[in-house]
Amino acid sequence: MGDREVDQQLVERAQSGDKHAFELLVAKYQRRLGRLISRFVRDASEAEDVTQDAFIKAYRALPAFRGDSAFYTWLYRIGINTAKNHLLAMGRHAPTSTHFDAEEAEDFEDASLLHEVATPENELMSKQVVAVVNSSLQQLPDDLRMALTLREIEGLSYEEIAAVMNCPIGTVRSRIFRARDAVAANLRPLLGTNDNQRW
Amino acid sequence: MNSDISALMDGELFEDEVDEVLDKLKKNKPFQQDWQTYHLIGDALRQPDHVGKDISAAFRERLQAEPVVFAPRRKMTQRVRYFALSAAASVMALSLVAWLSLQVGVERKPQIAVIQQPNEVRPASFASPNGINEYLMAHQEYSPSTDVHGAASFIHTVSQK
Repeated sequence: MGDREVDQQLVERAQSGDKHAFELLVAKYQRRLGRLISRFVRDASEAEDVTQDAFIKAYRALPAFRGDSAFYTWLYRIGINTAKNHLLAMGRHAPTSTHFDAEEAEDFEDASLLHEVATPENELMSKQVVAVVNSSLQQLPDDLRMALTLREIEGLSYEEIAAVMNCPIGTVRSRIFRARDAVAANLRPLLGTNDNQRW
Repeated sequence: MNSDISALMDGELFEDEVDEVLDKLKKNKPFQQDWQTYHLIGDALRQPDHVGKDISAAFRERLQAEPVVFAPRRKMTQRVRYFALSAAASVMALSLVAWLSLQVGVERKPQIAVIQQPNEVRPASFASPNGINEYLMAHQEYSPSTDVHGAASFIHTVSQK
């Protein structure tokens, strides 16, 4: 079952009244959607509110989601519309340079056009998380680091990684999990265990 | 279990495993935190310029205030759709055959009734031109309207009475 099918399963659970399933989708897409919205709404605090609004709108619109497109494509469209409506309500216009399709949005890399104005606190936490993730990755054995990198950065499937690393798929699965678990162990002190302390 | 969560977020579990893992994920808060942390690791590697603040806790409060959505399951899986379509086609074909056979049965009944009506026979015995009864009796068996040829003489005898 692929990534899109897993999303579809979560959507169907949410459509049948399971709010936890929708929370899992929020945990999965919050940063990608937040990044997209921050290209329209430059203030970090505003962008955060708009991201939440977009998720709420998506939740309310779930009965209309038929699964014709991927969930994330549908979600990004809602995110773009919510951001544009927010700017209109504030008497501002969406920058013309952001007239791109939702599917292209994820790969839009020209950060200089619309750079998020992050709060110093958020920026610091962001940098700390990235630093911990990178240093943890460097400390991993080569095979674990390569497996996780091929998966997360290159986006390869387990089968493709198995071919690249010349090992069984089960080994790939185990290596990726062990790599994630090791990095997560280093992140936990920074994130905190209490939900209210998490950022 | 954590290794299942890791495989689930990569879309690398089998279909029958997914439901089971999602059920466990729903009931267990540490598993949900692992799901979030694993996704954070991926986001930090893919987009280090924008890791952003975790909105999960704040969003959860807003979500709890929302009425629960219920949507009819409109999208069938391909396998279910094919099965449903072929079943519907089979039922329609059977219905058509049954309907046609009923129509044929219905048409036959009045035919037999008309043929066996005494009124139809009456003009022959009523007008009774000379020799016509003998002629009809002799040729009854060759009439195309007679289904049972062997009973021709019996029918004639009854009509004469």
